[in-house]
Amino acid sequence: MSGFVHLHVHSTFSFMDGAIPLDGLIERAKQLGMDACALTDHQGLYGAIRFYRKARAAGVRPILGAEIVVEAAGVFGQEADLPPDARLPSPLPVGSARARAAGFHLTLLVRNMTGYRNLCTLLSRAHLRAGDANDDLGGARSVVTLADLARLSEGLIGLSGCTNGEVGASVLAGIRSRARDAARRLAGCFAPGDFYVELVHTMTPESQRYIASLADLATSLGLPVVATNDVHYLKRTDAPLHDVLAAVGARSALPNPYGRTNAELYFKSAADMRRLFSSYPSACDATLEIAARCDLDLGLGQFHFPGVEVPRGETSYSVLSKMAWRGLEERYRPVTPESVRRLQHEMAVIEQLGFPEYFLVVKDIVDFARSRGIRYSGRGSAGDSIVSYVLGITDADPIAHSLLFERFLNPSRRQMPDIDVDFDSARRDEVIAYIYKRFGARHVAMVATVNTMTAKSAVRCAAKALGHKADTINAMSRHLPWVSARKIRDVLATYPECRSHPLRDEARHGLLLDLTERLDHFPSHLGTHLGGFLITREPVDTWSPLQWAAKGTVVSQYDKDDIEALGLVKMDILGLRMHSAISETVELARARVGADAVPEPFLLPHDDPKVYATIAAADTVGMFQLESSGQRNLAMRLQERTFEDIIAAISLFRPGPLEAEMIVPFIRRRHGLEPVIVPHPAMGPVLADSYGVIVYQEQVLQVAQGVAGFTLAEADSFRRAMTKDRSREEMESLHGEFVRRSVALGATPEVAEEVFRQLQGFAAYGFNKAHAACFAVVSYASAWLKTYYPAEFAAAIVNNEPMGFYSPRLVLDDARRHDIALLHPHVNVSSAACTVEHDGRAIRVGLRGLHNMNSRLLRAISDERALRPFDDLTDFLRRTRAEVDAAESLIRVGALDSLGVTDAGRPPTRDEQLALLPELKAVLGREGSAGERALMLAPSQAREATDLSHPSGWDVVRRLGAELELTGLAITCHPLELAAADLEARGVTWAKDLARCEDRTRICVAGVRERAQTPRTRSGKRVCFLTLEDHTGLLDVVVFPEALQRSGETIVKHRCYIVEGVLQNNAERGIAVVADIVRPYIVRAPGGAAVRLRRGVGTAPMGPFRGSAGHTDEEEWEIAGREQDAKVGAAER
Amino acid sequence: MGHNAAIRRFDAKKAGQPLDLFESASRLPIVLELLSSPWIRRGSQVDGPRRVEVEVPVVWDAERARPCSFIWKEKRYVIDALVQQWAVESLWWERSRARSRRCFRVIARGGVYDLAYDRIGGRWLLVGVVD
Repeated sequence: MSGFVHLHVHSTFSFMDGAIPLDGLIERAKQLGMDACALTDHQGLYGAIRFYRKARAAGVRPILGAEIVVEAAGVFGQEADLPPDARLPSPLPVGSARARAAGFHLTLLVRNMTGYRNLCTLLSRAHLRAGDANDDLGGARSVVTLADLARLSEGLIGLSGCTNGEVGASVLAGIRSRARDAARRLAGCFAPGDFYVELVHTMTPESQRYIASLADLATSLGLPVVATNDVHYLKRTDAPLHDVLAAVGARSALPNPYGRTNAELYFKSAADMRRLFSSYPSACDATLEIAARCDLDLGLGQFHFPGVEVPRGETSYSVLSKMAWRGLEERYRPVTPESVRRLQHEMAVIEQLGFPEYFLVVKDIVDFARSRGIRYSGRGSAGDSIVSYVLGITDADPIAHSLLFERFLNPSRRQMPDIDVDFDSARRDEVIAYIYKRFGARHVAMVATVNTMTAKSAVRCAAKALGHKADTINAMSRHLPWVSARKIRDVLATYPECRSHPLRDEARHGLLLDLTERLDHFPSHLGTHLGGFLITREPVDTWSPLQWAAKGTVVSQYDKDDIEALGLVKMDILGLRMHSAISETVELARARVGADAVPEPFLLPHDDPKVYATIAAADTVGMFQLESSGQRNLAMRLQERTFEDIIAAISLFRPGPLEAEMIVPFIRRRHGLEPVIVPHPAMGPVLADSYGVIVYQEQVLQVAQGVAGFTLAEADSFRRAMTKDRSREEMESLHGEFVRRSVALGATPEVAEEVFRQLQGFAAYGFNKAHAACFAVVSYASAWLKTYYPAEFAAAIVNNEPMGFYSPRLVLDDARRHDIALLHPHVNVSSAACTVEHDGRAIRVGLRGLHNMNSRLLRAISDERALRPFDDLTDFLRRTRAEVDAAESLIRVGALDSLGVTDAGRPPTRDEQLALLPELKAVLGREGSAGERALMLAPSQAREATDLSHPSGWDVVRRLGAELELTGLAITCHPLELAAADLEARGVTWAKDLARCEDRTRICVAGVRERAQTPRTRSGKRVCFLTLEDHTGLLDVVVFPEALQRSGETIVKHRCYIVEGVLQNNAERGIAVVADIVRPYIVRAPGGAAVRLRRGVGTAPMGPFRGSAGHTDEEEWEIAGREQDAKVGAAER
Repeated sequence: MGHNAAIRRFDAKKAGQPLDLFESASRLPIVLELLSSPWIRRGSQVDGPRRVEVEVPVVWDAERARPCSFIWKEKRYVIDALVQQWAVESLWWERSRARSRRCFRVIARGGVYDLAYDRIGGRWLLVGVVD
């Protein structure tokens, strides 16, 4: 017999103990002529589903399995109770995060579906039994018990493990009796013939003795042997990567902590393996036998819905149908024939595809949210469905906005529907608790995400392994932009901000850079999806291994794609902080003006001209989806007037529409600067809202229907086909079909060709209108609140940070520009959160965001103040027992200003309070009490007041500096207000005056940094988009590559700049400054004192930014990246 | 049984064949004696004058993937048996100290020798003489 199958393989999903990417593994197996290959990652099936799919697609038979950690089988009682010479050292911990465990290894392979389910349960039981023990290094955590193994071994094949298996380790240690006992007991856990003694030739001096002893043992026990190579990397040259990962995984530096002394654990060919085991051909033959016995069919393509209870005599369809028709009467008054037809059609399709249960599950969850007053909104293509609308899942009327059901559910393609629902972030936990209660804790788990290495993390990983010190590692990774690791050398060579980066020393760090490049995209750890829940009819641990997530929830080892592939239901219960902000704004506003005076913003008619005027003025800071610098720029050009305009704005500022250059013709045609021309009359009504430009995916369907006579289902398949990468032949086939059918309907070939050309150009770039329409409902609500309750809105936004595109400082600066006063926090007035005072004309900053503040102190302040206000510092300290650090922060930020009286007959200055603080704390700590008038007795060593006209005794520069440092906010004034005279003398133009300046004039502006984004352009050039702010407004600055070379380091390392450049100010492109040079600027008050921006204004690498334009948490990163792309497109035009 | 008697009694069969000392249970006494014999050590572990590291010409048997003879001190050593083989890969991150070798413990002319192919230098070394 010839041939060999690798049955013990660790991929990168062994997290820090495997260096084989799945694609590479499958490709190598094919190259070596192996028609099957196993995947046995440590402690889980993290990569199993994607391996299963990829391998099957490539024609390699996948064998799923895992290398588990199992309790000792060769001894009774504890290892520690054995005599020293009989003890085996425990192998190092393996596995990711809370699935990490130290103990003896055992390899398990899945034979069939029973085995798969048993393995999932086995792993889940081990991981979940570990509970929330916090022994980070493992110990007894996540270890499979022999009892579980015996109970759940059906359908599994066990191999005795590598040299870290108990059998192998005993042989290596020369304890043959223990090896025998362990092998016998482990074999007893499996059905006869399902347990093999695993022979691994590690090419060490001990290997031959090791193998001979194991083979001898197997013979004596009547067990079969099987050869493996405990594969950890594809080729010998990949061994260093594995060493690096293993070292970092074991929290140490090189050498490899697992004691691997060579590079032989690679994916060897069948010939190599047979040569290595020439004395044991049966061990190699056994790999083929086992591979033949492992015949798992996961049944991909089937759907498995969670159970839904329906009354006796009903079906899920009948229940859903009744709900839908009831909902139709509520949503449409009067019910229109079109809505009836539409609902009938959709219900028929839903029944045909077998999805009623899915809708019932979603409906159940949103009904709960509604019943508890938890704000939510459906989004995505679900908005295309009238069923979603009448069930109350989405809020945008699909008929009014021309949304097409086939874009959501295509009857000709049976694909799991995906309804995303955003819930109020602050109350999302209530929804989650309900889901667990409703479906049962054993049937619900969170969905995982696999976090992979970028340049920063790969540099850190490689540097740790190479033994660099923590400070050095920080210096190496700090200013690196967010790029993929394989681009590290390119980034260091070309990015101006990396000009003095330590890693540029190739001679010194060449190896580190090599390793970094090769670590690109390696999984680093398992994360938890922010809102994805897996809900199953059977216990979820029979579908997916579970483990504890870092935050104490149970998480599946599969990500959303794996879940979808398995046909399981994944519900996105996403938190949207904008919902929380809207709820809080309404609450604050109703508290001020009365509950009846403030309507529910989601139920408002979308026709308030004042709201549209606010948006069109680009006064959108805080507004959902409309606030980013790109959207503000678009608002100036678009001049929104209707709800459809908001939908268009949300859709246009997306990578696809921008890449297809839709904005410019859209704007020009909207303003009558160019005629609206469509090649076919059927396109006229379809594209009327978008001036003949194909912006929405739904329009692609309608055009294909109108011109070529496709059904909407066919049209959706046509759109999808055009969206994906197609071969030339396939595209030709689509083309031929479209033209043929168009001509058959009366179009001339030329017109049909032109329409196809347009569809080809736009189909891949159009945006889902339903998604935009669902978002637009929230956008309008936020715009309405900002227009009528700006103080409450700004306070609510800040209270719900982190959210949105801008920092809290900028949101409050924006409020100040709307004539809303900002009041510093005070212990006798402030709440934990920001509040509104002076009848909506002032915002009182809350205490929560103050540096060194803690929840105990916040509670103490609130409780004590409810009894009576604080008299002075002594009274405050005595009653709240405030910690020194927190009390110091409160004093410095002015929260204790004007309290008490000194012997000078005035309240103490902040310096006097600070000088007294340690003494008072000491007295209070010693005696529990201090003199009533301690401040009159004590202040002695305080600094002299710099401004006695202010109760704090501090001048404005000190006050502002303390605010920026301790709260991150500029409460007293905007920093640049202090330097206004100096800046004006330098010829600086303020943001508010830019609109009055001529297009293409040379200009000089100054601003504090808000964001610096550097998307790659299509030409490969790097452009930086700087969002700056002066005290009069926001500034958008574009720094093209040449200027970026001059100014990149300045942008990264400084917080405030003077920008010289050319103003762009026209209707087509809006207002922006194209920079020639960006210089650093130190903000100084007229007296010469510098304002330290510090915590208030961060420095950061240029690139995507955490937290963006009011998107859900899940979308933040994705959108940040996309918006950068979008901006580039805008700038290039 | 006398010292190393089992080894002395063992028939090494035809010259040039590798000694599959660990192949079956019947040879277990030999294995055990070999392993307990003080003179069996890794070449790299041998201290004192017996540890050598000299470059030697080696004739490689590509078919069986093992060396078949080497020349040391102007004498040709035909390899009678391959006792053991192992690989060493260490300190790859320190260019000056990195080591990447494939080692072969062989019996030739009645002695036991450790040959190593140095992958970095692309040369054969005699790294141990255990005689």
